[in-house]
Parts: sequence; structure tokens; C-alpha cells
Amino acid sequence: MEAATQAAMQAALDPTTNAGAAPAPNKAPGAAAAESAGEPILEVRGVSKRFGGLLALGDVDYTVPRGRIMGLIGPNGAGKTTMFNCITGVYKPSVGDILFRRAPGAAPVRTNGFKPEKMTALGIARTFQNIRLFSDLTVLDNVRIGRHARTRQIFLGAVLRTRGQKREEERIVEDSMRWLDFVGLGKHALAPASGLAYGHQRRLEIARALATEPGLLLLDEPAAGMNPQETQMLDELIHRILDQGITVVLIEHDMKLVMHICDKLVVLDHGIKIADGTPEEIRRDPRVVEAYLGRGAADA
Amino acid sequence: MSKGKLYLLLGALVALAYPFTPLASDYVLHVAVLVMIYMVLAMGLNIVPGFCGLLDLGFVGFYGIGAYTAGLLTVHYGLSFWAIVPLAALNGALWGVLLGAPTLRLTGDYFAIVTFGFSELVVLFLTNEIWLTRGPLGLPGIDPISIDLSWLSSLLNPAWDWYYEFDGETPYYLLAIVLVLGVYWMMGRLEDSRLGRAWFALREDPLAAASCGVNILLYKVIAFGISAAIGATAGSFFARWTLFLSPDMFKFWESFLVLCMVVLGGLANIQGALVGAIILVALGEVLRTVLPALGLPAETRFLAYGLIMILIMRFKPKGFFPAIATSGLSNPVIVRLRKRLAEQYGAKG
Repeated sequence: MEAATQAAMQAALDPTTNAGAAPAPNKAPGAAAAESAGEPILEVRGVSKRFGGLLALGDVDYTVPRGRIMGLIGPNGAGKTTMFNCITGVYKPSVGDILFRRAPGAAPVRTNGFKPEKMTALGIARTFQNIRLFSDLTVLDNVRIGRHARTRQIFLGAVLRTRGQKREEERIVEDSMRWLDFVGLGKHALAPASGLAYGHQRRLEIARALATEPGLLLLDEPAAGMNPQETQMLDELIHRILDQGITVVLIEHDMKLVMHICDKLVVLDHGIKIADGTPEEIRRDPRVVEAYLGRGAADA
Repeated sequence: MSKGKLYLLLGALVALAYPFTPLASDYVLHVAVLVMIYMVLAMGLNIVPGFCGLLDLGFVGFYGIGAYTAGLLTVHYGLSFWAIVPLAALNGALWGVLLGAPTLRLTGDYFAIVTFGFSELVVLFLTNEIWLTRGPLGLPGIDPISIDLSWLSSLLNPAWDWYYEFDGETPYYLLAIVLVLGVYWMMGRLEDSRLGRAWFALREDPLAAASCGVNILLYKVIAFGISAAIGATAGSFFARWTLFLSPDMFKFWESFLVLCMVVLGGLANIQGALVGAIILVALGEVLRTVLPALGLPAETRFLAYGLIMILIMRFKPKGFFPAIATSGLSNPVIVRLRKRLAEQYGAKG
């Protein structure tokens, strides 16, 4: 409930709402404004991904509601990370479309075949299942690289140190520090990234993703390997990310966290979507119980 | 001014003053010019394996392209050195981009093999295209560098003639210092910029870099182009210094030697590349006298270089001066940030 009102408020406050509120071509003008808040930020339509003879994803359909937290769950090997890779342009779906609509009411962008850097520029950021930091660089540099998509200086600015370049570099440091403080790592800004504690490394990866100014943030098992306190802090962090107007999708095995935090769940098993709905609905769904615990458990 | 900058300035001043002291000798100046040419080469090569993590075995190809561009433009068109440097650099960059754009999708060993093949191709071209390069006969009769300001002096006073042709080692030595400082200064700025960080990112983790919005192929090609331009610049200086070019000056071994310098000094470390150049050129000079005394041919010095590479890989895989995550520590923005963090969280590095 809370998240829903938040989303509505954000939609109302967001300056892009008005700018991008041109009605979608196939809708009545009056209905568009009312519906735009409820328009999904991401639509996955009949996506399949085949690796040779292996069907990693089979005809998966779902939508990601704007301004909410969605969970993508399923047993190991269900195709969750493959799904993320399709959304972020690492893989191209064999069949199907992925539509991304950054601002409410904006025309959706069909993203098939876009490269990862293009997806980042469009506004989709991610973290990785096994942490992928730039470990030889400092914490600050990791986040500064996250600013790459939103900054422009290349060769001449760097060599000549033009005024524009200096100002941009200063802004990059400021913005990066803001995101580091946001995840609580400001103190470690100038330490090497490889020296951070495990939980901090996960947070740094989130800060780096946030620095790209995403509309949609994909977190791949953010709580993996965390102790209960760290998970608690992560829970709180994800809610603060939501408060920034960023939609969150997470893959997670920590069911307590998933059930508590998510507004919507999509369950994959062997590459097929077997259920979606609220955590309550998913908890009672016999197919989900079967996928996780086996056939006998569902009957019992 | 930071301590490092002060030392650098002092070092540069001493180096600039050296040829005018009684200690100066032509031999030392000659070796010093050679060292500085290799310094520029090592700094140029460092961009590709050091900053971007791509093994480049064909760097000398760009050196050769630069040298022959300068040599031919001088012999046929009598162009001034000052016009030739940018032309040679552009020609080097052009070939860097032409080679890089299709091949930089390759990773690791495959890319190394392509670059190796490219440098061999350059040597074959220089050897066989006799109509252009005179092939194995070499290209003699290249004019030394000159500074021609006669157009200005004749305007001021018809009796003056401001024309100076480089004579002996001293002017080359001084110009080489300027060249090294210029490239060093440029490298420092590139390293601490959005471009440098993008290179580091794609070296550390290409997938994560792409997820940060870095267009990997584009940034690799930029790195390759800049590196090639610096190699060609060094080549154009070399051509107007030795005054004679032949294809066998640009054999694969030169690439290997420059790579040794970069690895010895510590990949990605700019100062390390400078130290590597000093050590290996000096070693080359020592071996040049020691090996004949032992009755060995001069080419056996490459055995020594190979041995050094093996020993470094075994005992100091990151080189003698490993690059550390400096994050542009001398950049005023970072200095201010460090100060602020220290105030905010107590004294902590």
C-alpha cells in the first residue's frame, strides 16, 4: 500500500511526467494521464532464449510495475540470471520483445539487440551475482566509472584540461560521493575496492549501478552471503532506493527477505514462468511449492 | 607544488644543463637520446597492455610507419620536422584505428597474434615495396631537424637569417627531453580522466565496464590509436636523428624490447615505463661491449632480455614498480576530498 502511494506521489512530482505525458497513440487522451502511473516500466513479451539445444527461457511474459520492488525467484538454473542478461543486453532474446519505458507515459523502447552500454544509457542498471568490481581501483573510482554514461569528456578535454572538463570531473566526484554516502561507504572512498568487507563490496556495486542514474535497477542476489544484520541493512537500503523513484527488480534466494520486501513476484522454473502475483498468492501456489520442494510436498 | 613534481622539475633542469657541463660526452648524449626515444615508445605502448590489459606485440609497426613517413616526406618533399611530427602521428593513429577497429573484438592471445602479424607485415612492406622505400637498401639522405625562422627574421631585418640546423647530439638531446616531458605530461592527464578510468574499467572487467556504459570496442580503438600516434611520433624523431632508415630497424625484437620495458617497470605505471627504458637501454649498451669480449655475437643480447622477462614473470609479476590505485592522488579535487574525509571521519588515510 505504502509503495503504491509513494509511486503515485513520485509520478506527480517527477518533472518528466509532464514532459513525457504525450498520450500513447492508441489510447484516448483522457485515459492516458490516468493510466500512465500504472504503466509498467518494463514489459517482457514472450521472451525465449536458446543456447544450442538448451532452452534457457521459454516464452516468458511479465511486466515490472513502476516504482515497486519486484522479485524474480525460482530454483537454481531456472533462468533468472539469463533473464537479467536478456534485459541488460548481454544476451539477445532468441524470440520475443522487451519493452522499456523510462518515463511514465513515454513511448516504449523495444530494446532487443541493444548492447549493454546502450541499455545503461537508456536507464537500466544492474549488479552481478558474483561481485564484479574493478578491484584494483579505489572505491571512488568504481563509482566514478559508473558516471561514465552520464558524462562526455574524451580525449581533448583530458589532455588540455579545459574548464568544461575540470568542472565535469568535479561534478563526477561530487555525484559519486553522494552515492557512496547514500550506501554508507563515503568513509572508504579512497581505499582500494578489493580491501572492502564482503557486505561493503555488495553495497559498492549497488552504488556504482545507482551512479548511472537508472530508472530500473536489477539486483542479482544482493543478499547472498550476507549475515542477518547485513540483510536487514540491505532491506532498508532497497527501500531508500525506491524512495529515489527507482524501480527495483531482484533475484534472491532469501525467502524471508523476498516475501517481506517485494510487491510482486515472478517465479521461473526450467526457463518457464510458472506463477506471478503478490507474495501472498505465490506462497499458496501449489506449482511454486512443487517447484521448490517436489511433487509430494504440494499434495501434502 | 608537490614533492614529486619538485623532483621532476629538478631532474629536468639537471638533464637540460648536462650537455653544457664539462662532463658532457657525445657517447653519453647519444645513449641518452636513445633512452629517451625508448621512454616515449614505452609510455606509448603502456596504454595498450598497461591501461587496457591487451597484449600488443606489434607496437614497433607504428614506430616504423612513423619513421618512414618522416623519412619519405623529408627526402621527397623536404618538409620541416615540425610539420612532419603531426602528420606522422596522424598516419600512425590512422593505421592504429584501421588495425584496431576490426581486430579489437578479439581477446587475449588472438589479439596478440594479430598485432604480431601486423608488425611483420609492416617490415615486409618496407622491404618489398622498393619503389617507395628503396627496400633493404635503406633510405639515406634524410636531413637533420632544423628550425627555420628566416621568414620572420627577414621581415624584421633583411640582414638577419634565423636558421638553425641541428648539429651533433646536444640539440637532439634537448629536444628529446622536451618530447619525453610532453608525452609524460599527457599520459598523466589521460590516466586521471574519464578516458583513463574507462580504460581501467575495461581492463579490470569488460562486462562490468559495459554495464557502466563504457563502449568497450570504441575505447579500445581510441587507446590503440593514441598508442600508435605516440609510437609514430617517436619514429619521426628517430628518422630525423639517425638520418638513415632500413626495414630491419623495425623487426619484432624491438616490440619485444619495448614490451620488456613496460613490464619491467610495472604495467600501467608511467614512471615505471621510464625506469624500464633506462635499465634496458643501459643493459643493451653494457652487453654490446661484454658479449663480443666473450666471443658471442651481438644478437645474443636478446637471450638476456628473454631471461629478464622470465625472471620478472617468476619473481615480480607486477614489475618493479607495480601501479597502485592512485585515483589521481595529486588532483586537487581528490586532495580536497581526502582532507574532507579526514576531518569527517578522523585522521585516516
